Amino acid sequence: MRYTAFTSYDIVLLAQGLGVSLALFLATTIIGLFIGSVWAVIRFYRVPVLTQLVTALAELLKNSPVLVQLFLVFFGLPAFAKFNVTPVEAAVITLSGNTAAFVFVIAVSAIESIGRDQIEAARVFGLSRWQILRRIIAPQAMAFAIGPLTGLLVNQLQVTSLISVIGVVDLTKMGNILNLRTLKPFIVWAIVGALYYVMAKLIAFAGAVLEKRLRAHTAWKGL
Amino acid sequence: MGCCLAFDLTILTPHIPFLLKGAVLTAEACVLALAGSLCIGMIVAALVTSASPVLSRIAYVYVDIFRSIPFIVQLFFFFYGLPEIGIYVGAFTTGVIALSIAGGAFTSDVIRSGILSIDVGILEAAEVSGLSKPVIFRKIVMPIVLRTSVRPLGSVFINLILTSSILSTITLNELTGSAKIVASDTFRPFEIYVILLVAYASLTYLVSLGIGALHRYLNRDLMTAGVA
Repeated sequence: MRYTAFTSYDIVLLAQGLGVSLALFLATTIIGLFIGSVWAVIRFYRVPVLTQLVTALAELLKNSPVLVQLFLVFFGLPAFAKFNVTPVEAAVITLSGNTAAFVFVIAVSAIESIGRDQIEAARVFGLSRWQILRRIIAPQAMAFAIGPLTGLLVNQLQVTSLISVIGVVDLTKMGNILNLRTLKPFIVWAIVGALYYVMAKLIAFAGAVLEKRLRAHTAWKGL
Repeated sequence: MGCCLAFDLTILTPHIPFLLKGAVLTAEACVLALAGSLCIGMIVAALVTSASPVLSRIAYVYVDIFRSIPFIVQLFFFFYGLPEIGIYVGAFTTGVIALSIAGGAFTSDVIRSGILSIDVGILEAAEVSGLSKPVIFRKIVMPIVLRTSVRPLGSVFINLILTSSILSTITLNELTGSAKIVASDTFRPFEIYVILLVAYASLTYLVSLGIGALHRYLNRDLMTAGVA
């Protein structure tokens, strides 16, 4: 027996897929932000070897399809190093790495956006390199980076849809399941698309609010 | 044991022609999609910057939607949806159409900002000279925009190449699709996907070098004047 009609349970399915997508997005964003910032700090301190390694890795991750990265981690790593990777683990590893590469680029340009004179002045006052990074650069770089970061995160949300290909049951996979059962592609994919759209708008909105707060100190307060 | 940590590339030699065939298919799809997205992008950018609020609103909605929805969802929408309304065009055509529509949204954004950065004096001079709107767009606006936005257009194109790997999910055996087949034939997924990663990265690197050269060539008169 085949149920081709939509049922109320489908809403639960979609909500479940949405939850998986969102959870993976949040987790990989946090990990990616952390790793990308660490890479940027490595570059800031000009650690020999490591800086070149990190820059090359970021370039490679930025300039290759996420789908291939996913396949490499999910199919390649287990075959090569003999340890098993579940689809969710592969998704977390790949997406975090990918986000980190883009965060690295944004962080580096944000750090470079701070005028040299400020850093020189801070050095004259006897601040250590870490104090300069923490007290002078970070607060300003954060306000500079939040715009590009919002754009990146809206993009990374869309990238999470690729993990459905290796079998993570996220929103896109749910769409696929519903599509194959109901055979109503226009309705199913329109709903899935609308859900992604709403999520993207929410991220953009949150980014705008945060940017306004971080830039509050530079805003003109009026007379 | 002993087999496990061996990184052996020679095993892939017999599969190179097959992979090259996939690469050619990727190149074909990307070039067609580039042409398609340039056409769509120019039309949509013209609508967005037009004086009519209704047209610019519609164009804006198009750009907003196709930029905010994952490409794979758009692709499935077309791949499963088109046969539903009686259009049977095959995976390749569907892929090129979907890539063009998605790429068109990004392209139109680049072209729009190019149009907005044109000195208003030039456009006013053209209007005063009695040129009609379509002529101004074709003969004045587009030559300037396409020349100055080579770099951002190039990065859209590079993104298009990377996105084209997603076409493998609709049974199209382009580069990634062929690599998947080779990986399951040889049981050597690690080697094949490492090669694939490096291949895509070098391909996009070469394309970006080409774009840089094209940008310098097209803007050579601006460079010598020290403006660009």
